[in-house]
Amino acid sequence: MKKIYVYLALIAVLFSACKKKNLDLFPYNQIETSQAFNTETDVNLALGGAYSGLRGMGNYKQGEWNIVYEVISDNVIINEQGRLSQQVFHNWQYKGNATVGLFSQAYSVIRRTNAILENIDNVPSTPTFVNNVKGQALALRALLHFEMARVYSKTFNLATNADSTVPFITTTDPTILPAKISVKEMYDKIVLDLTTAEPLIATSNGVGRLNRAAVQGILSKVYLYMGDWPKAIASATSALGATPNLPNIATFPSIWTDATETGVLFKTKNTLLDNSNTLGVNYYQTVAGGIRSEYNVDYDFYQLFANNDVRKSSYTLQAAYNGTNYNHVVKYAGKTGFPAGVLDAKILRTAEVLLNRAEAYYRNNNEAAALADLVLLKTNRYTGYVAEVLAGTALLNEIMLQRRLELAFEGERFFDLKRWGMAVTRSGKGDKADGTGTPSIFQSIPAGDYRFNFPLPDSELNFNKNLKQVPGYNN
Amino acid sequence: MRKIVSMTCMLLLCIMQVVAQEKTVTGKVTDESGAPIPNASVIVKGTSIGTTTKTDGTFSISVPSTGKVLVFSSIGMTSMEVNIGSKSVINQTMTSENKALEEVVVVGYQTVRRKDVIGAVTSVAGKEIAQKPIVNFTQLLQGKAPGMNVIGEGGRPGAGAFIRIRGVGSINASSEPLIIVDGIQIASTAFAQLNPNDIEDISVLKDASASAIYGSRAANGVLVVTTKRGRGKPEVRYSFQYGQSDALDPLNVTFMTAQQKLQYEFERGYTNPYLSSLISRNITAGNLPAGSTLFNINAQQRQSLHDSLISKAPKSWKDVLLPTAQMKQHEVSISGSGDKFRYYMSLNKSDNEGVMYGSYYNRTGGRLNVEYQATDWFKTGVNLALSHSKEDLKRELYNSQSSYTAWYLTNPYEPVRNANGTYNLTMQGFSPLEGADNNPNVLDRISTYATLFGEVKIMPDLFFKTQLGSNYNTLKGESYLKPGSNLAAILGYNQKNDYGNFDWTYVITNTLNYKKSIQKHNIGVLLGQEFNKNKFYSYSLTSRNFASASLTTLENASTPTVATTSRADWALISYFANASYDFDKKYFLSVSGRNDGSSRFGVNNRYANFWSVGAAWDVMQEQFMANVPVISTLKLKGSYGTGGNNNIGNYEAQGTYALNVRYNDLPAAAPARLPNPNLTWETNRTLDIGTEIGLFKNRLNITADYFVRKTEDLLYSINVSQTTGFGSYTGNIGNLENKGIELSVGGDVIRKGGLVWNVSANYTFVDNKVTSLYSDNVPFGFNSRLKVGQPIGTYFMTRWAEINPQNGKNVYYNLSGAKTETYSAGDAVLLEGKSPNVKYFGSINTSLSYKGFDLSAQFYYSGGNYIYNFQYTRGAYGQSFFNTQLYTDAFNYWKKPGDVVKFPNITDASQATNYTTDLWLEKGDYIALRDVTLSYTTKQDLLSKIKVKSVRLFVQGTNLWIGTKFKGVPEVGQSNRESAGYPGQLSLFAYPQTRAVTMGFDIRF
Repeated sequence: MKKIYVYLALIAVLFSACKKKNLDLFPYNQIETSQAFNTETDVNLALGGAYSGLRGMGNYKQGEWNIVYEVISDNVIINEQGRLSQQVFHNWQYKGNATVGLFSQAYSVIRRTNAILENIDNVPSTPTFVNNVKGQALALRALLHFEMARVYSKTFNLATNADSTVPFITTTDPTILPAKISVKEMYDKIVLDLTTAEPLIATSNGVGRLNRAAVQGILSKVYLYMGDWPKAIASATSALGATPNLPNIATFPSIWTDATETGVLFKTKNTLLDNSNTLGVNYYQTVAGGIRSEYNVDYDFYQLFANNDVRKSSYTLQAAYNGTNYNHVVKYAGKTGFPAGVLDAKILRTAEVLLNRAEAYYRNNNEAAALADLVLLKTNRYTGYVAEVLAGTALLNEIMLQRRLELAFEGERFFDLKRWGMAVTRSGKGDKADGTGTPSIFQSIPAGDYRFNFPLPDSELNFNKNLKQVPGYNN
Repeated sequence: MRKIVSMTCMLLLCIMQVVAQEKTVTGKVTDESGAPIPNASVIVKGTSIGTTTKTDGTFSISVPSTGKVLVFSSIGMTSMEVNIGSKSVINQTMTSENKALEEVVVVGYQTVRRKDVIGAVTSVAGKEIAQKPIVNFTQLLQGKAPGMNVIGEGGRPGAGAFIRIRGVGSINASSEPLIIVDGIQIASTAFAQLNPNDIEDISVLKDASASAIYGSRAANGVLVVTTKRGRGKPEVRYSFQYGQSDALDPLNVTFMTAQQKLQYEFERGYTNPYLSSLISRNITAGNLPAGSTLFNINAQQRQSLHDSLISKAPKSWKDVLLPTAQMKQHEVSISGSGDKFRYYMSLNKSDNEGVMYGSYYNRTGGRLNVEYQATDWFKTGVNLALSHSKEDLKRELYNSQSSYTAWYLTNPYEPVRNANGTYNLTMQGFSPLEGADNNPNVLDRISTYATLFGEVKIMPDLFFKTQLGSNYNTLKGESYLKPGSNLAAILGYNQKNDYGNFDWTYVITNTLNYKKSIQKHNIGVLLGQEFNKNKFYSYSLTSRNFASASLTTLENASTPTVATTSRADWALISYFANASYDFDKKYFLSVSGRNDGSSRFGVNNRYANFWSVGAAWDVMQEQFMANVPVISTLKLKGSYGTGGNNNIGNYEAQGTYALNVRYNDLPAAAPARLPNPNLTWETNRTLDIGTEIGLFKNRLNITADYFVRKTEDLLYSINVSQTTGFGSYTGNIGNLENKGIELSVGGDVIRKGGLVWNVSANYTFVDNKVTSLYSDNVPFGFNSRLKVGQPIGTYFMTRWAEINPQNGKNVYYNLSGAKTETYSAGDAVLLEGKSPNVKYFGSINTSLSYKGFDLSAQFYYSGGNYIYNFQYTRGAYGQSFFNTQLYTDAFNYWKKPGDVVKFPNITDASQATNYTTDLWLEKGDYIALRDVTLSYTTKQDLLSKIKVKSVRLFVQGTNLWIGTKFKGVPEVGQSNRESAGYPGQLSLFAYPQTRAVTMGFDIRF
């Protein structure tokens, strides 16, 4: 019977070999949220995470919407030999979930900024560091809310007090179910964030991060959208300084290969390691038959690029695919020495700020100053340009045209038309270089049409009953 | 000193033997067939006197006068006792254990007699899945057990399958059953690496009574796989088989011929690039007037252009893209048992080409299972297997990088190669043949399976067993975009990605087993404890700019771009128990319980208990049944209990910041998850009521089960407002229900003069529905929804009405049911009752045997599901897809007012977009002749002179016939490997299913 005791002891040992702490397992690539803001290094990591989120946004300028913003305008036409991507947008047939990426990913970055703002004052640090971080977080938060405001709601100058837009979020509380706020209120909050950020943020964080000049440039755009001309002018002037740093004709093409950062106020960086070719692939892929475009330059729009305009060759290329000539968009061909289509996403350039100011000057009845800005831009774009004298509507039209040409394929055209209260009217021409080929199925949407405002994602509306769909989308 | 003692003892023993009166008994021990059993032990009962039989089975033993009984035993055979009496020659025939003890079933941590099983358990014998030409053997389980639905992911050799036991039990967590091989939980990839011929049997545990002892992993059922053990005389087996397989053609549709396709393009007003350049060349050569187009030349001129194009095209693109695949398999095994040993050893090699150009799956492996009865109280053993596989994984995308998709996209008039011999990139801009040659993705896997155990007999009825199991899998993948390849040219760089992982699961199990019979009371108690741990480590290395395609290691590339590793672990601590009792084998009761602690769940809810109760009544044991001649078996069973599902990510409960983020090549951190400290198991509550009936001396057997399986606390994403920056976190919310019946009927129709004709069939019906959700009618995957009262994934799409006979435009129903020519996704409605879930399935099996000839066939059927037939869309909607290959159905388009057809006017640009509507939703019902085997086995005496025990020759066919109305191949698993989706939802060019014919032989020595 003694053997039994030996067995029982053995069993007892084997049975008790397990410890409860064996169940406390933690991920290897993550830290607990409570441990995410202990030091300045942690804050820098979180801030990098916020910028990184901007780049990862499927629907922002490093992503799909780089082209979506163009596809809905009159700048491009779908190529019948392409993969027929983004057709829903080109045909203005977007519904509920077409915009979910912008919505969710913008708020995801907003959360990152809010987490920084909630924790920054508890981190042992210096005022200089804290201010610069706060400035960047506030400005990023404002930038994304502004982006959503111009996508999801009426533009400020055309909105009444009854017109609403998406909520402005300043918390990391996961239980919120926010309602829409008025467009006016939204812009007030955006302006407050930006003006608070302006004095806090450092003047040089590198163009891959926000700087004071970039914040001022964003402010000029926000004020332009609000129709507050004096403030738009003032902010633009702050951003540009006494002598606007515009790249000249020789330097200009280097912006698009990221060989220069002249004239860029803010961009999201895309390194060899990141290797994101979305920007380029949005427009085309190079295959054995040549450049296979998804969208080509609209025939009539292409004619507006003069031969002595440096932008013509920087932005477009006429080349054959499968024996047919097309006008391809080559603005996003990529950095030199990088794989095709890999480049930084330019979010704000000095040229845009200059055009903001020119338009604001004009609206503010200072045609001379407006003309001076226009001439400055054109001098740096057209070979052999001789300063011209324009006034009245002709001046405004030229400012609008230069805005369209300068910012072509950067996603501004549609929102400019919306802001100006104009219709989208396509040329009716075909996709081929000579204007033949298949025209777009749908040619126009009238000014003020509900489709100028994108629908909110169903997935959010289904859950958050406080949020109401954008008028016109009754699903 | 010691020597002296032992010698003295020996001497004493000798003296004792001489002193005692004794006699010598001789004899021969044979098996049922009369073959001698060597190494059988012959012991005089109550003494230590014993001997073993010689190779010819003979023995000789001296029996003292006190010895009355001889005990014969041999591993694999039933021990027998024989009274010696006055006999001096005893020839004993032994019967093998399995026959004597009837069928045994391996259930949770123990083995039970088939007759005593209370739970719903189906055994699949190894021979049912052995020697079949399908390498992805998970698929071989199709139709083998009622209640278990198996859908192959696709036809890729080595691919897995979706196994659903009693319906789909989960929405977001996995619905796959737990797979235990020789005591170790293994992943489905490691399961697919096993050699099916090494499997003794698979027990499918379906109800709570059988599975609750597996606790938090048991909710979706359990497959308990036992590998072979040796039995009886040494046997050497060699088998070989060779076969060929072809991709199944889509059914109920026909691809256009080159002439038809060109005609269609002409009707559409489309000039393809080949014709464009042909026309230009003809104009230059003066054969056609300047300004000629396809539409202003005469029919004869056009035909000659067409003919010129067709003359360069291959006879069939399928032969090029999906060539006939060969498979070869060799296997050697040695098995047997001796006095104290049982052994089974096998080596196998199987080479399989896939039907997609360039793909293959080759596997080599071996297994050694040994059991050693060291003393009468201690037994030890080991099951060891090693498996190596190598496959070239071709891309399965919805584009022409997949050769199967390319078959749908490449026009039949396009040439395979250019005039200069290079691959023609076709109108797709990509040649999958070139891609297969120059973009290999070779996966190399090594899996080891080891189970070591020791078992101690503490008392005659009490056993303690400790077992260590380990499953170690490595994957080494090498994906190469060779310099000079077309894809490298498109991307602007060549690169190679070396990646892989080390996946190790180990488990330590201790069990105490007590069995006792006191008069008519039979009691069994099992107590156990277990610790499971999994460690996973993966890496990925990428480098660019290789100097030459022949250099394949990353050191030869100038630009390293990715170097990353990651890790994850999980652990499970468990205690479990089972008590069973029966009275006189008439009334049975079984109770099981398990306590599991899992690292995956929140600190507040880390431990949970699972339990089950089962009871059975063997009615035949009752007196009143004695005089019912027709009925030979009648058993009623019922059970109720719980099981859990812990199949979610490893760290879902923790709120975290992720650091695998970077910005501008600097490290960064971003919120990764919201915390949920209350996260816990999904719980299944299963009720099962069943019966087993045998009629006419068990010539006709019927089993029937009714089950209700309710899943509670579904592991599901709990939404938060997206304005928080998160969409959801994992929580426990919502309920599901699967209700159904399982029936199986089988019997010998003819049993006469050596002719046996057996027919059996099984049928399962499962009704799946969502019973509660945190938010009703939410989107779920591809155009489908989750809605209370409806099955998971019920389709949600706009309804197509007709083609307007007047103007040839598509007509849809809007929300209010009125017809409209404007498509709107906002008009999508829930198509009640239409979901990808299979509602009924089963198999019909028949076998006919006569004098060594065996003919068997299995039909498998499945239905009640709906599939969004995207492949048909692609082949039929020429309005959108006019520049790629089409089905002849595409000709069925509107041409003039009054036409009642399915497809709109092809020249109407407004109809050029194909929208998602229920027009493309089809029933997935089918019946397939899955397997036909004809074999001949030689008679024993025929070959005994050359020491060959038997030879079996066989020919078999797989998928020789499929009956369906589905336009395509109806078994749809994954959409495709690279965008898997919900199983069965969407046909999107997954690796094609195949038809195979193989032949082979099997020799036993």
